[in-house]
Amino acid sequence: MSNDILFLAEFTGGSPARSALELATGAAELASQSGGSAVALAYGPGAADGAAALGAHGATRAIVLGDDDRPAIAYAAAVVSAARDGGLALLAPATPNGRDVAAVLVGTLDLPAFGPVRAARFSEGTIETEQATLQGSVITTSCPVDGAATPSVVLVLANTFTPNEGGSGSAEVSQAPAAEDLAFTQVTVAESHEADAKVVNLEEATIIVAGGRGVASEDGFGPLRELASALGGAVGASRAAADAGWIPYQLQIGQTGKVVKPSLYIGAGISGAIQHRVGMQTAEHVVAINKDPDAPIGEFADLFVVGDLFQIIPALTDEIRRRKGT
Amino acid sequence: MKIVVCIKQVPATGADKRYADDLRLDRAGVEAIINPLDEYAIEQALRLVDDGSVESVTYLSMGPEQASEALRRALAMGGDDAVLVTDPALAGADEWGTAKVLAAALDKLAPDVALMGMASDDARGSLVPGAVAAMRNLPLLSYGAELNVADGAARVRRLSATGYDWLSAPLPLVATVTDQVGEPRYASLKGIMAAKRKPMQTWSLSDIGLSADDLHGAALTRVTDTRAPEEKPPTERIENLPAAEAATKIADWLTTRKLI
Ligand SMILES: Cc1cc2nc3c(=O)[nH]c(=O)nc-3n(C[C@H](O)[C@H](O)[C@H](O)COP(=O)(O)OP(=O)(O)OC[C@H]3O[C@@H](n4cnc5c(N)ncnc54)[C@H](O)[C@@H]3O)c2cc1C
Ligand SMILES: Nc1ncnc2c1ncn2[C@@H]1O[C@H](COP(=O)(O)O)[C@@H](O)[C@H]1O
Repeated sequence: MSNDILFLAEFTGGSPARSALELATGAAELASQSGGSAVALAYGPGAADGAAALGAHGATRAIVLGDDDRPAIAYAAAVVSAARDGGLALLAPATPNGRDVAAVLVGTLDLPAFGPVRAARFSEGTIETEQATLQGSVITTSCPVDGAATPSVVLVLANTFTPNEGGSGSAEVSQAPAAEDLAFTQVTVAESHEADAKVVNLEEATIIVAGGRGVASEDGFGPLRELASALGGAVGASRAAADAGWIPYQLQIGQTGKVVKPSLYIGAGISGAIQHRVGMQTAEHVVAINKDPDAPIGEFADLFVVGDLFQIIPALTDEIRRRKGT
Repeated sequence: MKIVVCIKQVPATGADKRYADDLRLDRAGVEAIINPLDEYAIEQALRLVDDGSVESVTYLSMGPEQASEALRRALAMGGDDAVLVTDPALAGADEWGTAKVLAAALDKLAPDVALMGMASDDARGSLVPGAVAAMRNLPLLSYGAELNVADGAARVRRLSATGYDWLSAPLPLVATVTDQVGEPRYASLKGIMAAKRKPMQTWSLSDIGLSADDLHGAALTRVTDTRAPEEKPPTERIENLPAAEAATKIADWLTTRKLI
């Protein structure tokens, strides 16, 4: 059994997802503690050409599982084969795709599963993970039971690790072992559609301006878009705003939407319901604008601005543009 | 065409929960509900009955005796019968242990579709469905905003980062749906009365061909410590200021933190 740390490196549209860079760095950190190497399991469009470059972020080796846009779950059989070859832990992003692949591994090889975690380390040769539970009110530490098989499967929240930039290393690339004949390979994309409106991938955004029911209409998102563009960020929403049809569901943040961890989250006209909170509470800085001084979001925001979003947001946009000289 | 919906009983969202001294979740005295996301799976299954593409709906839960209340509530919404797997050896089951048990029970029930919620409220792992699929070597169609079945296959509409896909796989399979399938129906008074007469079985581990030894104490993971999260600095407030002044203060706050 090797001491390697494996990680899922998903590629889309020719380049690695941000999670792939974060996990490369995280795997390298853990590998230095376990005495092994960080090994990328790279899949998706662009993986064949891009896998070596993961070396710059910490990967020592990269195994290319495939280069086409079949659904992530269809790559799970190849991940299972790679995981059979060893490794102490396998890091997967806590995204729908990452969870699908992780779950399949757990079920096929009877592996312990952790997550979504906010920290992981090796202590005396065993992986130890930290997870926020009970609505973030408790932090638990967990480890595998004695005698559990490896690799331990660890779901990792976005931004748990900060990608090393500017490394010059190149990962040694190899082709995947033959994938096992598992049922998951039968999942196919029957049709693929782009959303009507142009939407960005919120999981990758570092600044998010989110609007809720208080935004009151589709047009109400106009000022939020202006603010987002002044800040160089993206627009997101609560489920109430998405349910109302003011914004596409791909931009919903929360338990059943995207889990985001930007450096700055600004929520306007959002009350801060628990299901929304679990999708954004790990943002580094949370600013809330709400006209209700008792809104629950005021209890966990870093900066709580009591006022009318339609007055404050345009004024803030002007002020930011003035300071940036744009 | 037969669907089994897997539902979990969980403590009510937002209820005051804590860890007991043995580092297991203390569920005493907390109101228990059907995992809210599983209600959407129930709704999806019942819609497939309504449109005639499915003949029967069975509910399956693993949990303590009280979980039969959740099954009874599901039966009041609709569906035909229910199975509770309960066994003292299952206390403290993790997602692997839960999947092991559900997979064995599903082998016995042999549905065309085993339908689950996208996540349980109290764990948020979303790992049980995929692990069950793997243990039974069946395809997984996950995170459906919509599910349909026809001609020996199922399809789900799944949001992608920038749009949506229809994913397809041959039956039998495991599927999960999200809260976008439509609001769960309420149980009518008639439904509640009818539910009392619907069959409910209770199975132990040996009924599904498992022994406590197969289950390693029902978990491959254990909690070794719990603690309070790091103290956050108190919320700063900006109140009762004209918009322009508030904007200046917010911009100062952002500038100090190098966010602009
Ligand atoms: C199973 C399940 C899953 C869910 N998943 C999600 C999820 O993923 N994401 C999610 O967001 N929700 C989710 N929800 C819904 C969640 O419970 C809340 O209903 C939702 O988040 C509320 O959205 P909101 O804050 O925009 O609206 P509200 O709670 O109605 O709050 C609107 C706020 O806007 C303020 N406001 C109004 N006008 C103005 C103004 N002019 N200026 C400033 N402030 C103003 C009000 O004071 C109020 O606080 C889920 C619910 C369930 C049951
Ligand atoms: N104890 C259980 N009994 C029945 N179904 C369960 C149980 N635990 C999880 N599930 C199903 O698996 C889904 C995902 O759960 P989880 O992986 O815990 O997030 C839930 O929405 C349920 O449909």
